[in-house]
Amino acid sequence: MQNTASDITDLLARVALRDRAAFSLLYQRTSAKLFGVALRILKDRTDAEEALQEVYVKIWQRADRYQQSAFSPISWLVAIARNHALDILRARRPMADDIDAALDIADGLPNPEQATVANAERGQIDGCLDQLEADKAEAVRGAYLDGYAYQELAERFDVPLNTMRTWLRRSLLKLKECLSA
Amino acid sequence: MSTEPEIMDGDDISVAEYVLGVLDRNQHVQMAARIAADPVLQAEQVFWESRLSGLDTQFAETPAPAATLSRIEKRLFGAPERVSIWQSLALWRGIALGSVAAAAMVLGLTVMRPAPVTPGPGVQLAASLQADDSNVKFLALYDSSTGNVKLAALSGEAVPDRDFELWIIEGDAAPVSLGVVPVDAPSAVTLTDAQRQTINTGTVFAVTLEPKGGAPEGKPTGPVVAAGAVSVI
Repeated sequence: MQNTASDITDLLARVALRDRAAFSLLYQRTSAKLFGVALRILKDRTDAEEALQEVYVKIWQRADRYQQSAFSPISWLVAIARNHALDILRARRPMADDIDAALDIADGLPNPEQATVANAERGQIDGCLDQLEADKAEAVRGAYLDGYAYQELAERFDVPLNTMRTWLRRSLLKLKECLSA
Repeated sequence: MSTEPEIMDGDDISVAEYVLGVLDRNQHVQMAARIAADPVLQAEQVFWESRLSGLDTQFAETPAPAATLSRIEKRLFGAPERVSIWQSLALWRGIALGSVAAAAMVLGLTVMRPAPVTPGPGVQLAASLQADDSNVKFLALYDSSTGNVKLAALSGEAVPDRDFELWIIEGDAAPVSLGVVPVDAPSAVTLTDAQRQTINTGTVFAVTLEPKGGAPEGKPTGPVVAAGAVSVI
């Protein structure tokens, strides 16, 4: 499987022109990644599968908007999947988070080609997260990768909600300085 | 600790919270609307999205269930109906559903559609209006306590010698005109009591392109340039 950024960009352009074969190919190239995103956040295979269907419906409808974006194509697709999964989570709350289920999802290793694509950004964000205290960095990662909202983060780190909010906002402020450097 | 959040009350950090997804639903929707209206906040959103996307490699690839692609293709391409465009409820509904999916991005609303609920007094409903093949986008906000529909164009341009017309579509009923609306300024329409009774969470707002002054016979004649179903916010 070859997944260079230009391949995916090319497929998105063809999908924007309503090329169904390109859509099928785009799905084959990217669905494992996007299913991984939905599964990590929703932590349920049935929900993740339903979400994945809705995500690809959106991708079909919005492929023409990719050109205007500032992202690598795979980041753009991940953002659609991630935002959709977060919308589903937000609609479900308030609800107890199943932390045990979260532990069942293996983290796995990133795909080497995609790692190359995102290498510069990844190096930067990881470097900047490393400058935060370990638990603060973990909170940012938990929000981004697992979709934890303030309430869940406060429970996981066993601090009051307002403390969590202060922590995270302060961490984001530091991150911004580092990421802007 | 108690006064810190006020000190750090910067919009840039609020956008970061929005992108990270830690806000609750109401805050998220409010932030989405603020970002949609403010290019500075939009730039801030791009900053955070692109920087945080460096974490995307940590999402593990997991093969999707085998039947998923054919389900998606059935949803997108399965057995389209070709009836006269204005008689085709399937089309209106299809537009509405598609727009609801798209609205999720703009408003942070979910695509899950609960059974229609007629709102009590003081309930706010919102709809993001857009359609494929059109760059016209509107945001509609309905306040059930006043019966006011506020409308703002998020994108799109006036068309010479034509007007945009706003419609509400309720269930199987014919579209009801709410009049001609500007694309270059916010506008507001007050619904009649009868119209207010019909508004529920499945109601669709749609904008069509019509001859100057609006559709002559009170029925839509031009293309749907934007449509979306309302949800409680």
